[in-house]
Amino acid sequence: MNASSTTSSASDSISIAEIDQSCRVPLFQMFASAAVWLVVASVFALIASLKFHMPGLLANCAAFTYGRVHPVATNALIYGFGVQAGLGVALWVIARIGVTRVVQPWLIAVGAKLWNFGLLVGVIGILVGDNTGFENLEIPRYGVVFLFLGYLLMAIFILATLHNRRERMLGPSQWFLLAALFWFPWIYFTANYLLLSHTPVRGITQSIIAWWYSGNLNLVWFGLVGLAVIFHFIQQWMNRPLYSRHLAAFTFWTIVLFGSWSGIPASAPVPAWIPSLSTVATVLTIITAISVMMNVCKTCGHGCSETESPAAGKFIAFGTMAFGIAWILNAVGAVPGVNSVTNLTWYGVGVWQLNVFGFFAMTMIGAIYHIVPQVTGMEWPCGNSPKRHYWLALIGVILIVAPFVIGGVVEGFNWRNVNVAELEVAKKSLMFVRITTLGEVAILLGNLMLLGNLVGLSVRYYRLHFVPVYKGALAEIKPAEVKP
Amino acid sequence: MRHGPLVFLAAFFALSASWFGFVLTPQVELGRAAQETNAVMKAELYPMGRPGIARQGAEIYRANGCAYCHSQQVQQEGTLVSVVMTDAGTNTSALADYLNQLLPGRKYMGPSVGAGLPKVILTNATIDDAAIFAKKLKSAGAASQFRLVPIGPDIERGWGERRSVAQDFVMDATALPGSLRVGPDLSNEGNRHRDPNWQLVHLYNPATVTPKSPMPAYKFLFTRKKIGKQASPDALQLTGEFKPDAEYEIVPTPEAKALVAYLSSLRSDTPLYEAPITPAAAPAAASTNAPTK
Amino acid sequence: MSSPSHQPVSNAPQDSGAKDPVVPVWLIIVCFMLVYWGAVYFDQHGGWFNTQVYTPYVSAEDLQKYQVFGGPDPMVLGAQVYGRTCTGCHQPNGKGTPGTFPPLVGSDWVNEKEPGRIIRIVLHGFQGPGLEVNGQPFNTTGQMTAFGELDPPAGLTDEEIAAVITYVRGNAEWGNHASPVTEEQVKAIRNKYATRKSQPFSPTEIKGINPAE
Repeated sequence: MNASSTTSSASDSISIAEIDQSCRVPLFQMFASAAVWLVVASVFALIASLKFHMPGLLANCAAFTYGRVHPVATNALIYGFGVQAGLGVALWVIARIGVTRVVQPWLIAVGAKLWNFGLLVGVIGILVGDNTGFENLEIPRYGVVFLFLGYLLMAIFILATLHNRRERMLGPSQWFLLAALFWFPWIYFTANYLLLSHTPVRGITQSIIAWWYSGNLNLVWFGLVGLAVIFHFIQQWMNRPLYSRHLAAFTFWTIVLFGSWSGIPASAPVPAWIPSLSTVATVLTIITAISVMMNVCKTCGHGCSETESPAAGKFIAFGTMAFGIAWILNAVGAVPGVNSVTNLTWYGVGVWQLNVFGFFAMTMIGAIYHIVPQVTGMEWPCGNSPKRHYWLALIGVILIVAPFVIGGVVEGFNWRNVNVAELEVAKKSLMFVRITTLGEVAILLGNLMLLGNLVGLSVRYYRLHFVPVYKGALAEIKPAEVKP
Repeated sequence: MRHGPLVFLAAFFALSASWFGFVLTPQVELGRAAQETNAVMKAELYPMGRPGIARQGAEIYRANGCAYCHSQQVQQEGTLVSVVMTDAGTNTSALADYLNQLLPGRKYMGPSVGAGLPKVILTNATIDDAAIFAKKLKSAGAASQFRLVPIGPDIERGWGERRSVAQDFVMDATALPGSLRVGPDLSNEGNRHRDPNWQLVHLYNPATVTPKSPMPAYKFLFTRKKIGKQASPDALQLTGEFKPDAEYEIVPTPEAKALVAYLSSLRSDTPLYEAPITPAAAPAAASTNAPTK
Repeated sequence: MSSPSHQPVSNAPQDSGAKDPVVPVWLIIVCFMLVYWGAVYFDQHGGWFNTQVYTPYVSAEDLQKYQVFGGPDPMVLGAQVYGRTCTGCHQPNGKGTPGTFPPLVGSDWVNEKEPGRIIRIVLHGFQGPGLEVNGQPFNTTGQMTAFGELDPPAGLTDEEIAAVITYVRGNAEWGNHASPVTEEQVKAIRNKYATRKSQPFSPTEIKGINPAE
């Protein structure tokens, strides 16, 4: 099962098996934790979704009020699964492309543990009422410290792995990942320091910084890492390089230049220049979507469905399409005429779900389905499960995003029509929200499958690798002879 | 060609540009804002700090994530002007003729032009048209004032008299403008629902006052206790199916009262330089951010 | 299901000599068109970085146009100014203190047809013996502050002086029905006494002044 081909005849050649082996410890830690957080996020998202049409659900429990359950769901998805799995896949991609072993895998795993601890503490803090109030930044200060330290530990050694690469020339995936690795600590530190330190900024400046951070995280960071992974796997499976490096460089510039200025809503209570700049930048991100779709389509040609890992390939393909649709919807939603209808409605929520889950999470899930067998040298215990997960996730995403987008437009028109009472607007949106609950159920089931598969594979790995060692050690211990 | 450092520099440049634009510049422009003497209503400071219990209520609002369904950002799509005549001058018959010329369809009679002043002569004009009209009135010997009429769906729904601006958030520990409107905008909640009891009952179970509301019930902000010698003065007045069993009453906790105090302190009706409106003739107390009795 | 794994695809440019396709021209044109749209949009809606310009206002000049009687009714402003400045001596009910602080209620000084004297008093203060209001004598050993000469918030701006005098003169509850006073009138009188500073008027001096000036 283990691939044994070597890359070159140089004396210091390293086999792919060795690369994968060096990834095992950190990737196991990161992917397993990410899968757990993914399930946690789906459970909380389902509870939050249910509360819209069953407001009495868990009404007596302060920790489960919508305003606490919803941020737990989003933070668990973004930080627990998104960033963590993203870093894990990034590590593997960098090690593979660079044909080098991972630097200090155990320290990376420690970093991941710190990350998880910080998130756990933060999530409990939110449930207890320490929600900071800033979207995507709800983790209170005591959690943020661990998250940041964990990230630094992971990122430093991922960068060191990149530094050790054989081939000094950097490809598009590596540019994207390199930029992303630097991007996150800057925006995370800036936002959390300015908002949660002992001398935070005051007034609406807080919201501007929070919106800036959200735009950079959702568009730039997820965009860079997700696209890096997509580009890598497409080149891998098509067995040819990306259609155009220049186009990839163009994509890179549009993401970092335009995406970093997006995120401020047009209705924000701030002087007009701030939302105007943000509107222009968000509309310009449509160029990113176009350039990526072009690059991918021309690289794939007609061979899109021929991949070596059918299930993973499906996820990556879906992730790519979701990227294009999400970014186009986001750009269209920012166009001033459209924005006056869709602003502050479910439309934004739908686009966010499509971007974070439909594009980024699906891509990472597909990558996990591909990477874990390679790294551990074992097959998934349930071979059909990835495919079933794909179909569940596909149905789930469609059932969540489509009602939110359409419902958001309907809701927007209703809000603008003074004759529709406030309660009527909520009632008319109810049908859409009910459909999204079904979508959340589907996604939860799929995520449970991933977790179950990972647990099964870990058990098998343990049995295969550790049990014989353990038994062997036991065999050497002879019982003491009883002397008469 | 090793373009590792190049990639880093490109990312650094792009991120520092957006940091400069959206983190540093707003902090320089807005971050040091303080309470200001209102440029329009010169006698008062704006915004008035919320009283202590309302500030505690803001923390409850934040901790329970109310901002995920309620926004606090009123939008405004334009400002129209009504021209109000305050003085008809001395030659009312000439004025009446002149007005009938300027505004076909009106039938002003000489002496009655000056009756019932101040009265609105022209509605829904742009500022430039209104300025021209006012000049014409002046040349005819009359005096007039403008009344500003902000327009937009948010304002028509009563969610605020004007758009929200940065100055509104200066005294808030955490700015919570929200990002989604499942429920109405709350910027002007203190004016829209003046009765704190309505707020308490609504928080306890929104279905009591708005049937089939999707807002969750915040029962954990209330305690259900046995009625003592007499009912507590704070007990909620509930009816029908929502009434607790006999011998029990629902009493708000201090958190509930704080939250309601915060909601009652939310007002969006003070005219400001950056969001001009014509204030009502009511006394200044109604325009502060402090709750009124 | 891993097949015998192939090498990771090299990231170096293709050695075959085929040229790496460039960014298509149409995409660059679209990009520039959008950038142009963005520039125009910002020009029209961005307020050019002015901190006070919010949509729907498009520029500082536009916003300035709307500052027309966007301010309060002078009676409302005057009431506020009176409340925080004048009640200490003249009392909230305008009746003053007999013998010390003259009343404003039904006062002949307040209800003069031309407001010249009253404006002078508020601007530069008042002190001195010989004051008579409605036939009642007042012994003004104390001095009325020269509100026009101090800086706000202790003093008053011309607009506030005009407003408070308008309020006092027009306060129907107090039985005053005199004409309002404009900011321009206050300014005109202030200019006449540019060097006077805080030297208060005395009753004899002010009686010698024609209120119409």
